Amino acid sequence: MLMQTKKTFFLYAVHLFLSCIFITLLGCTPEAESNKQLITVWAHSGQEGERKVLMDQVQRFNEEFPDVHVELTLLPEGSYNSQLQSAALSHDLPDVIEFDGPFLYGYVWQNQLQPLDNLLPAAVQADLLPSIIKQGTMHDQLFAVGMFDSGLGMYGNKALLKAAGVRIPASVDDAWTEAEFNQVLNKLAAQDQDGAVLDLKANYRGEWFTYAFSPIIQSAGGDLIDRQDYLHAEPVLAGKEAVSAMTTLRDWFQQGYVDPNLDDAAFVEERVALSWVGHWEYPRYAKALGDKLVLLPLPNFGQGSKTGQGSWQWGINADARHPKAAAQFLAFLLRPENILAMTGVNGAVPATRSAVVRSPLYQEGGPLRLFVDQLRQSSVERPRTPAYQVITSVFQQAFDEIRNGADVQKALHQAAAAIEQDITDSEGYRSVPRS
Amino acid sequence: MNNKFRSDNRVGWLMAAPALTGLALFIGLPFLLALILSFTNLKLASPLPLTFVGLQHYARIIQDPVFLRALLNNLIFAVVVVPAQTGCALLLALLVNRKLPGMVVFRTLFFLPVIFPFALISVVWMLLYAPGPNGVINSVLELLTFGIWEPQDFLHNQFLALPAIMVVSIWQGAGFQMIVYLAGLQDISEELYEAARLDGANSWQQFWHVTFPCLRNTTLFVVSVTTILSFRLFDQVQIMTKGGPLNATATVVFEAVRAAFERQQIARGSAMTVVFFIIVLCLTIFQRRLVREDRRVG
Amino acid sequence: MRKILLTLFISAAALLYAAPILFMVFSSFKPDNEVLVGLTSGRFFAADLSWQNYADVFNRVSFGRYLFNSLFITLSVVLLGLVVNSLAGYAFARLHWFGHKALFGLVLALMIIPFEAIAVPMFYQMSYLGWRDSYLVQILPFVANAFSIYLFYTFFIGLPKEFEEAARVDGAGTFRIFTSLILPNSKPAFASVTILTFLMQWGTFLWPLMVTSGERVRPLPVAVAQFQTLPPLQWGDIMAFGVMMVAPVMVIFLLFQRWFVAGIAATGTKG
Repeated sequence: MLMQTKKTFFLYAVHLFLSCIFITLLGCTPEAESNKQLITVWAHSGQEGERKVLMDQVQRFNEEFPDVHVELTLLPEGSYNSQLQSAALSHDLPDVIEFDGPFLYGYVWQNQLQPLDNLLPAAVQADLLPSIIKQGTMHDQLFAVGMFDSGLGMYGNKALLKAAGVRIPASVDDAWTEAEFNQVLNKLAAQDQDGAVLDLKANYRGEWFTYAFSPIIQSAGGDLIDRQDYLHAEPVLAGKEAVSAMTTLRDWFQQGYVDPNLDDAAFVEERVALSWVGHWEYPRYAKALGDKLVLLPLPNFGQGSKTGQGSWQWGINADARHPKAAAQFLAFLLRPENILAMTGVNGAVPATRSAVVRSPLYQEGGPLRLFVDQLRQSSVERPRTPAYQVITSVFQQAFDEIRNGADVQKALHQAAAAIEQDITDSEGYRSVPRS
Repeated sequence: MNNKFRSDNRVGWLMAAPALTGLALFIGLPFLLALILSFTNLKLASPLPLTFVGLQHYARIIQDPVFLRALLNNLIFAVVVVPAQTGCALLLALLVNRKLPGMVVFRTLFFLPVIFPFALISVVWMLLYAPGPNGVINSVLELLTFGIWEPQDFLHNQFLALPAIMVVSIWQGAGFQMIVYLAGLQDISEELYEAARLDGANSWQQFWHVTFPCLRNTTLFVVSVTTILSFRLFDQVQIMTKGGPLNATATVVFEAVRAAFERQQIARGSAMTVVFFIIVLCLTIFQRRLVREDRRVG
Repeated sequence: MRKILLTLFISAAALLYAAPILFMVFSSFKPDNEVLVGLTSGRFFAADLSWQNYADVFNRVSFGRYLFNSLFITLSVVLLGLVVNSLAGYAFARLHWFGHKALFGLVLALMIIPFEAIAVPMFYQMSYLGWRDSYLVQILPFVANAFSIYLFYTFFIGLPKEFEEAARVDGAGTFRIFTSLILPNSKPAFASVTILTFLMQWGTFLWPLMVTSGERVRPLPVAVAQFQTLPPLQWGDIMAFGVMMVAPVMVIFLLFQRWFVAGIAATGTKG
C-alpha cells in the first residue's frame, strides 16, 4: 500500500513537472504591455565597479523618467561580439547596444544602427571629445557615443625601477626606445628573483591583444590594414616594420621577461616592475602601490610612441521602437556627473570636455594626464572597416602563435592573407542598402 | 489481422511521430543545411546577397595549414587517447572487480570525474597546470624527481599542451568505461576460470586466455566510442588553450566553431562540419567492418 | 599479505585519481591569493580556511539562477526525452506500421551523427528563427535522441510477448498496454536512459556557449567558464563555484549509484 502511494506520488510529481515545462515553453512571451516605453539595453559586464555604477544609473534613470523603463542585460566580455552578431541575424538586438568601439563599422555595414545626429541634443554632441566623435562616425554620420575613451600605457613600480637604475620617462616624446626598453628589461631581470619583470596581461582574452599590441606595429611604421582603401593587409601587416616589432615582442616572451600573470596579481604583488595595461587597472594599482605607482608611455619602435584608443560605445538599434526615449537614456549617461561616476571607478578618460576638467585624475597635473596627452597626439584608432571583426580575430591568432615562438614573418603573412581573403569574399564590404 | 495492421499503422505512426519529427528537424534539417550552406558565401548577419561559390570553401580548407594541423591533432589525440584510456579503464575495472572490503568506495572515487562537466574540469586543471615552481603539477614533479624537473608552462608549450589535454580527457573519461568493463567482467562465467585453473593456468594466463577474449565485444565498443569522442574534442580546447600554442591544440570542431561563431563565416564553418562528418562516417564504417570480420573469424 | 598490498595500491591510485577534486574542494576554502601557493612551499596546507569564497560567488554572480537553468534544462530534456523516445522505441519494437523498418534503419544511421557535426548549421538555423537565448533552444533539439530510441527498442524487443497478447485479447488498446504493462516492467531501461541523458546534458557546453547571451537562460558549464574570465580574477571564488556546481549531482549520484552503474553498463552491452 505504501509502495503504491509512493509510486502515485512520484508519477504525479513527474506529471506536474512536465506540465510546468510546457507552460514555461509556451509562456515565453515578453512582459505584459504597460503604458511605459520599454527600452532594452545590452552592455558588457566589465569590472565590478563598472557594473555597479551602470546598474545604479539605470535605476536612477528609471526613477527620473517614469514613462520610460530601461531593462539592462549584462553579457560577459569573452565572446561579446559573437553573441551580438548571432542576435543581429534574427534582428534580436536590443534597443540600445553597447559594443567595443571598432566593431561599430560592422554593425553599420549590416544596417543595424541608426544615426544619432538628429536624436542627441546638439549641446551634448558638441561637448564630446574629438576622439569619441571620430570613433563613432561612419559615412559622415554619428552612430555611436561613449561615456569614456581609453588610455593604454605602462604602469611602473618606481621603487623597482629605481633599484634597477633605469631612466623613468616623463612624457610621450620621452618614451623609451625599443633598444632602451630591452635594456630596461634586462636590468630589471638582473634584480628579479625569477626574471619575469613585465606584465603584458597574458591572462586576458580576446580583443585585448589587438588593442594592446597593434600600437607597437604602428610605432614601427606598419599597421593592421592599409588605411588608404581598407583592402590590403599584406604590405603593412607582414612588412619588415611589423615583423621586426613583433619579433621583439616574441623575444620578451622567449627570454622569460613576461609574467604569465595567471592570478592577475603580478603587478600588485610586486612580482613585476612594469604592467602594460589600460586605464581600468588604475584604481586597483593606485591602492596597492600608492606613491610607488608611475604611468609611462609605451616604448617607441621608431615612429614615436603609439597607443590605442577607443572604448565601449553605445548605439541605437535601427529597429528600436522608441528611438527618442533611447536617445534620452544616452543623453542621461553623458551627463557630466554620470560620466564622472563611471570614470571614477574604471579610471577611464571622460568622454566630454566638461567632465575632463572636473576629473581629478585627468586635469592638468593629474596622475593620468598622460592618457589625455596621448589621445591628443599619439593614439591610433583601430581600423574603421567592417572587416575589423575578422582582422582582430586573425591578429589574435597570429599573436598567440608569435607569443609561443612561431616564425613571425610566416604568422603575419598568414594573418594578412586571411584578412584579404575575407575582404574579397565580402566584396570589399561594399555598402548594401537596407532591404 | 488486416484490422490489427490498420490500427497498428495509425498508432505506430502516432507513437513514433514526436521523436521522428524531432530527429528530422534537429538532426536531418541542420545536416542538409550544412551541405547546402557549405557551397555558398554565407556570413552571419551579412547584408550581401547569397551566392553559390561551389567547392571553394572545401578547396581552401584542405589547403589551410591550420585546419590540416587541426586534423593532425585530432588524429594524434585519437592514437594516444584511445589505447591509453581503454587500458586505464580495463586496469581500473580489474582492480575494483574484487570482493574486498571498501571496493565500492574505490569504484566511486574512480567514477567521480565522470559526473564533472568538462567545462569545470578544464578550469580546475588549468590551475593544476599553473606554470612556474608554484604550480601544483610542477611542484609534484619537482618533488618526485628530487628537483631535476624544470617547471613548465604546460598549456603554452607546443609540445606539452596537447598531452596536457590528453591527460585531462583520459582522467575524466576512464571512469565511464571502467563501468562498461565491469559489466563485461561480471558477465564472464566463473566456470571458465575454474576450468582454466584445473588446466593449471596462473592468474596472468587466466587473464590472457579467459578474461581478455571474453571482453572482446566490450573492448570493441569502448574503442569505437572513444575514437569518435576524440574527434569531437572541443570543450577542453576552448577553455584551456583556445587552440594554441602554435595551433598545437586546434581541433576540427574548434576550427569550425571559430570560423562560424567568432568570424561569422558560416559557410566555411559548415564546410569544416561536413569534413568532420565524413571522417566520423569513415571511422564508423571501418569499425563496423572490423567487427563483422572479427565475428566471422570468432 | 597480498590483499593488504593490493588494498594499499588501490588506495594510492584512488587518492591520486581524486587529487584534482580534493584540490578543488580545498582551494575553495582558501583566501584567493593563497590558491596558487606552491605545494612544496610549506604554506600550501597552512592557509586560513573560510566560507568567504562561497559568499563571494553569490555576491558576484547569480549562482542560483544558473543552477536553476541547468536543472530546468537538464530535467526537461530527460523527462520529455523519456516520453518521446520510449514511445518511439515501442512503436519500432512491437508495432507493424508502414515504413517502420526503413525508418528504424534511418534512426540507426542518425546515431552516428555527433552533435558537433551539426552545431554550426543549427546555430544558423536557430539564430535565423530568433530562438536564441531561450530555454526552448536548449531543450527542444535534444529531446528526440536516436540512441535513447535504440536503447528502448532493444529492451522492449526482449520483453516476453505473451503479456501483451493476453491484454490485447482482453480488449486493451495499445496505449493502455504501453502505460499499464510495459512501463512498470521497464524500469531498468528508463533508469539507463535517464542517467545517460542526464550526464550528457548536464555538462553540455558548446551549444549554450553559442546560443545564450545573458544569465537569464545560461547553464552552469558556460557560467563557470565565463566566471573564470570575469574580473577581478579570484581563483578561490572559481573553485567555490565549481564545488557548488557539482555538489547537487554528487548527491544524486551517491543516492542512485546503483542506477548509474547499471545505466552505463547498458550502453556497453547494448552497443
